[in-house]
Amino acid sequence: MSDREVLVIGGGPAGVAAALEMARGGLKVTLCEQGPRLGGAIHRQPDDPSRRVRVPKAQRQRWQALAEALAASPVTVLCRHMFAGVEGSGAVLLEDRASGRIVTRHPAALVLALGGVERATPVPGWQLPGVVTAGGLQMMMKSTGRAPDGDVLLAGSGPLLVAVAAQLTALGKAPVAVLERSTSAVSLRALAGLIRAPAYLWEAAGYLLPLTKAGIRLQRGASVRSIVPAGDRLSVTIVDTIGLEQRLVVDRVALHDGLLPNGNGTTPAPNGPFTVLAGDCREVLGGVAAIADGRLAGLAVLARLGQAAPDLAGAAATLRRERRTQSALNTLFDYSGSDAAHLPDDTVICRCEGRTLGQLRGMLAAGDRVSAREIKLNGRFGMGACQGRFCAEWVAAFVASQRDGQPPQVAEIVGSRWPVKPVPVSAFVDLPPSSPSE
Amino acid sequence: MSAAHFLSRAGWRVTVYDSGVVASGATGSADGAVSVASKKPGPLMTLAVAAVRFYEHLAETGVLVDEFISRSTFMIASQSDELDVLESQSAQLEAAGVPVRLLKGQSLAETVGAAAPSALAAVEVQGEGHAVGYRVVERLRRLGGFTIRRHCRIVGLRQSGGSVSGVVTEQGVEPADAVLLAAGLGSMDFLAGSGLIRPRKGQLIVTDRAGRDTPRFPGPLMSCRYLVSKGSHPAGKLPESRSLGLVVDPLRTGQFLIGGSREDRDDKDTADADTVASLLRDAVALSPSLARLRVIRVFAGVRAATRDGMPIVGRVGGADNVWVATGFEGDGICLGPLMGHLCQQMICGRPADQDISALGADRFGLKLADAA
Ligand SMILES: Cc1cc2nc3c(=O)[nH]c(=O)nc-3n(C[C@H](O)[C@H](O)[C@H](O)COP(=O)(O)OP(=O)(O)OC[C@H]3O[C@@H](n4cnc5c(N)ncnc54)[C@H](O)[C@@H]3O)c2cc1C
Ligand SMILES: Cc1cc2nc3c(=O)[nH]c(=O)nc-3n(C[C@H](O)[C@H](O)[C@H](O)COP(=O)(O)OP(=O)(O)OC[C@H]3O[C@@H](n4cnc5c(N)ncnc54)[C@H](O)[C@@H]3O)c2cc1C
Repeated sequence: MSDREVLVIGGGPAGVAAALEMARGGLKVTLCEQGPRLGGAIHRQPDDPSRRVRVPKAQRQRWQALAEALAASPVTVLCRHMFAGVEGSGAVLLEDRASGRIVTRHPAALVLALGGVERATPVPGWQLPGVVTAGGLQMMMKSTGRAPDGDVLLAGSGPLLVAVAAQLTALGKAPVAVLERSTSAVSLRALAGLIRAPAYLWEAAGYLLPLTKAGIRLQRGASVRSIVPAGDRLSVTIVDTIGLEQRLVVDRVALHDGLLPNGNGTTPAPNGPFTVLAGDCREVLGGVAAIADGRLAGLAVLARLGQAAPDLAGAAATLRRERRTQSALNTLFDYSGSDAAHLPDDTVICRCEGRTLGQLRGMLAAGDRVSAREIKLNGRFGMGACQGRFCAEWVAAFVASQRDGQPPQVAEIVGSRWPVKPVPVSAFVDLPPSSPSE
Repeated sequence: MSAAHFLSRAGWRVTVYDSGVVASGATGSADGAVSVASKKPGPLMTLAVAAVRFYEHLAETGVLVDEFISRSTFMIASQSDELDVLESQSAQLEAAGVPVRLLKGQSLAETVGAAAPSALAAVEVQGEGHAVGYRVVERLRRLGGFTIRRHCRIVGLRQSGGSVSGVVTEQGVEPADAVLLAAGLGSMDFLAGSGLIRPRKGQLIVTDRAGRDTPRFPGPLMSCRYLVSKGSHPAGKLPESRSLGLVVDPLRTGQFLIGGSREDRDDKDTADADTVASLLRDAVALSPSLARLRVIRVFAGVRAATRDGMPIVGRVGGADNVWVATGFEGDGICLGPLMGHLCQQMICGRPADQDISALGADRFGLKLADAA
């Protein structure tokens, strides 16, 4: 075994697959996951093993295979270790959340398998307590094995809405309604793509069946126009395809407009180690592709470090197939969100800093073409604790829609600075100058 | 941008060229102390006093309304060997007409005791302020009256006879009747002589918003070590290795800005964990309550430091219509608006409101570079 350590960040399918591939190739691998357990978004494990939500069988088996291989491997697993970024001299910073300290590493290579981030597009009132994301709700259910209290409305676009609706239903808490913005009926092209990927059909079928049984309908072409507080509940104005409005009073609204690669911390650092991205944080292609992509990332590291590497033509083929499927699937959905032209000025865009669309419009109003950096600094979009994870992409798209020519880059708004996520001041205080954690 | 503002008000047609975007240099990566407290005694301290008054004037007349916050700065000595520095700086400030108040015992406990329990003594420097560099620039941009050319680097000056007739951009030559070089570190590309301005990197840390359990900070706390690393005082008995100067600045947003380092390097895109950890250690030693906050951002900027520690503002030799304003090192947010105003007066051929002969380019015999 080589004595050079390689570091994998992210304990989802991509990270685990990458770690396994590199361990098999003879490298000393450490796998870091910020959460208390491995699993990632799709295979999130429950806090209490006796309380788990039901997931499709194929999905469960995929994780089981990975988890067993990992247990039998020499990979060192560090849970509750958050990757905080690569600092100026090139050291990888990890926040050990158990000891509350920052530790530094100097790996020979770094695989970032940070997953995707959920997209939710602004609507008036989405900053209110009680408004969550569908994925966030799903994570909560997978962790606790329980459905949330009160009436839930699911809205936005994407397959995840249906999956979450099914999981709510299975836990005895069917959603009040599921609003899917897209009006497209399943096209032949999409169907053909899906048929080539049996796993998808299986999972979709598994989700749809209990829903139809529970009498829940997917309202196509319907979306949330605004949300206002109604006592301690939320009053939601819904608009359908022909513009008719309807009001619903619920306890929670779960929004979802697709998934994006998690780009925070993935910009190459000047003095950093050789770095490869894997899984959803490189390209959002789903759980099956994440495993294949993780293996390919492991392969790239093996090749770079001069280790013998297996032939992974099969993984590459899987990736291509999943990419076709994913793009077919994407044609069924409409991730555009509310038409920004119709959003009122007081719509909050950046929920960390409470910045509004009116403020963004004001910055763009002058004839002078302000840059992304100015929008960030003066508009404070992307300056909050989330580092723009939740608003930068929307802000960049909005700016692009307001003028022609070169659109601003999301990276200019998000920036590439560490820490990737907020780190306690106290974690730095006893950082011994540049020493390993063990 | 300040010079552009005042020149446009004086009737000039002004274009600001920036190789990046506005505030992409030191101005966008700075703290915003509009402060005399840390200034080197002498002409710089006198000019800083005038610069603070000028900010007040701009705030009152609406130009920088809401962008300038008046407040006191608190210089803190927390080790016995810092008491000397505290006393001598305080005496210098008093001599320059700055109102100061020495805090000891009861008054110390009441004012900064909660924020900095280990302080031995403090001096409150009154009548100072805070302004965020990029926000000042944004305000001036919005007030308008001049053109901004972003991503438009000046690669040379077109000379004819004893004058400059235009600026050379990557897209071609554009005519100009007068040129002000205010390109920070980049200004020296147009001037003969090397090594006159060195990059001095600084790293800063921003925390999240303080909760209710964080004690009130009366204003920015400046450790007396800051004065040592800044070189405004002879190092005396203090160890020279300290290149970190600690300022804990409570921002308007409820966040804290903690800075900063002074390093002779110019990699402005990187912040390193060793420096950040050292700053945070010092910050927590001064103000233990900071340990409860989280770091949300770290960043670096590069100051333009001149050989003698004084800015360079004035006419450049070798042409009769070129001026320079650079070398503001760690003071350019404070001095910027006043210097922009004084540059306008010089360029218009009027007597300047302040004596800036000590900043003249002639002290280094600065001339336009031949290749410029
Ligand atoms: C909210 C959400 C819900 C989803 N639900 C479904 C679903 O129901 N069905 C489905 O088919 N697909 C779902 N997907 C998509 C699916 O999860 C992915 O395609 C697949 O899991 C990607 O695997 P991955 O390993 O790339 O990333 P993930 O599985 O997301 O794993 C990434 C891991 O990295 C960790 N991590 C992130 N940042 C850091 C850091 N800085 N330091 C340390 N660790 C870090 C995370 O905690 C996570 O465990 C969902 C995705 C999201 C984001
Ligand atoms: C960490 C740090 C903390 C600081 N804290 C304070 C403080 O608390 N108080 C204070 O008063 N000051 C502070 N300063 C100092 C202050 O930021 C600077 O003195 C001031 O911003 C300098 O302004 P400037 O306009 O001269 O230069 P800059 O802001 O650097 O602007 C120069 C501009 O010129 C452009 N440029 C360069 N070359 C060319 C070219 N060839 N063609 C076209 N454009 C060009 C650059 O892109 C840049 O935008 C701090 C600085 C740092 C780094």
